[in-house]
Amino acid sequence: MPRDSERPRHTGRLLRLGALLAGIAVALSFPSMAPSPYELTVGIAILNFAVLSTSWNFVGGFTGYISLGHGAFAGLGAYATGLLVTKGELPSFVALFVSAALVAVLAIPVGYAALRVRGASFVIVSIALVLIMLLVFQSWASFTGGSRGLVVPRPFPGKLRSEHHEIFYFLFLGLLALALLAWWIIDRSRFGMGLKAIREDEDKAQSLGTPTYTYKLVVFVVSAAFTALAGGLYGLWFGDLDPVFQFSILSGAYMVLMALLGGVRHLYGPLLGAVVVGYGLEYSKLEYGDTPLHLVFAGLLLGVVVMFMPDGVIPAVTGLVARVLGTGETSIREVTAAELRDERDEREADVRPDHRPDGKRPDGKREVRQ
Amino acid sequence: MASDSGSPTVPSPRSDSGFLLELDDIRAGYGRAALVLRGLTVRVPAGGVVCLVGPNGAGKSTVLKVASGLLAPRSGRVLVDGEDVTGRGPQQLLAAGVAHVLQGHSVFREMTVAENVLLGGYTIKDKAVVAERADFVRDLFPLVAERWTSLAGLLSGGQQKQVEFARSLMVRPRVVLLDEPSMGLDPKTTGVVFEQIARMREAGTAVLLVEQNARRALETADIGCVLDLGRVHISGPARELLADPQLGELYLGGRPAQPPAAPKR
Repeated sequence: MPRDSERPRHTGRLLRLGALLAGIAVALSFPSMAPSPYELTVGIAILNFAVLSTSWNFVGGFTGYISLGHGAFAGLGAYATGLLVTKGELPSFVALFVSAALVAVLAIPVGYAALRVRGASFVIVSIALVLIMLLVFQSWASFTGGSRGLVVPRPFPGKLRSEHHEIFYFLFLGLLALALLAWWIIDRSRFGMGLKAIREDEDKAQSLGTPTYTYKLVVFVVSAAFTALAGGLYGLWFGDLDPVFQFSILSGAYMVLMALLGGVRHLYGPLLGAVVVGYGLEYSKLEYGDTPLHLVFAGLLLGVVVMFMPDGVIPAVTGLVARVLGTGETSIREVTAAELRDERDEREADVRPDHRPDGKRPDGKREVRQ
Repeated sequence: MASDSGSPTVPSPRSDSGFLLELDDIRAGYGRAALVLRGLTVRVPAGGVVCLVGPNGAGKSTVLKVASGLLAPRSGRVLVDGEDVTGRGPQQLLAAGVAHVLQGHSVFREMTVAENVLLGGYTIKDKAVVAERADFVRDLFPLVAERWTSLAGLLSGGQQKQVEFARSLMVRPRVVLLDEPSMGLDPKTTGVVFEQIARMREAGTAVLLVEQNARRALETADIGCVLDLGRVHISGPARELLADPQLGELYLGGRPAQPPAAPKR
């Protein structure tokens, strides 16, 4: 018989499984439900944001290092894929994976330098990376196309535009599933435990024997690789790359905003943030055109999150549900080891059929333990 | 036996053969500032509890930092089981069997009790050994077993302290350095914490304890050392120090309850 405290946990697990299955069903049926190709492109944009933000969360969520420079890895992934297709004449999807590997290799020296500093210094170093890449890709016009941009050939030239969108919708969905799976595996691993200890207190983690520097570097490279895959896939889908948009501080800032909004410590936090922010951005662009109003919305949203839900929407909502259902932890009273042992003995006695859970015997007298 | 010299010989009430941790004629300080420890000698016998008491600024916490490798001494030697480990870092000292529980609360607040405890055994590669050690500390600290899946930050101060103790015991240390474990705790919780220190000793772990709650600490310890101005001023069997009326006035905040049985000084 399950204990009383296990019932809400069991219910919670069932609810989570149900929500996951419902989410998968909605995601898979969205292309057939979308009223027009425009809605489908909004879906793709949101999925792209979700992959980027989840990829960012490998570093931000596990180690607490806030990188504003991940836009550089996305841009590099997109440009490397485009250049490998146009100049290297590689097949599109081979180019995509080769570019992710190249970005991962590049992330090693970048992380080696950037992860030596913490806090605000790390943020500034990460911003510098984006600005350097912007300058390089703008200036080196003979190779990258410069400000004129780079046209990436479509991987499926024979397909109609709507079919093209549908295929890419599912490709982004697959990549998102892969990123979430990787995050989930790390979250439950010994490696993940060490990373979370770094987030909590890096010095303490080190004093307990966690190889903090190596761990940070490894997860930084993994994060960069996933970000590059998202960027590369975007390049193949969108087909036109401009350094100003690819190497923008804004794209890194959006990844941070989405992850913070949903909750960086939660698997689905960045995904939820991407749905809200991505939809909001598309809506404001549609309604208000090319005005910078969408930036004002994003800024306001960031302010609201930081002020009222510093841990993100998911922890805020689950905390609220736990309070309503009364499943949260309430007691922190001090007990001696002897008292705890007595409590444990009582619980064991309770599960015996001749004992009532309230510690009273059937005749109403209180159980007296010797 | 007791001594007021800078380098007393602290006898072991449990073992006559050698000391587990020895700090020998240590001189240490921070940066270019004046020395904090000025020729201090402290010896911890295997399985014994040694308590350092003394006024603020006497250098008590600095002793523990030198012993755990967080601070390299300017001169003197640190020996673990006879081996010279002077100048080695915290991770090497941990490997040598010296675990340090820092002052204040040092649990990972956003991680579960289980994760906190398992992080203590992070250097152990063998999963079976980790599981066996986890079972050992869960048995030693029932609260840790009880709150295994709770977030450590949700526990009270005294409970967090027990999680820290459990974490420090994961690597099967031979000596645990405890820096003011009762800081900020109410009398009942302090009692719980000292109960756990006694259990650590019963499990065979030596303890070097720094406490402001001197009377309570000396009641738990085998040997007491009174520090002042970076030296061991007086040392001897803890019960004798506790019973010394002059010492009680000077360092323990009042007269002792029992009639005095003055230690030799």
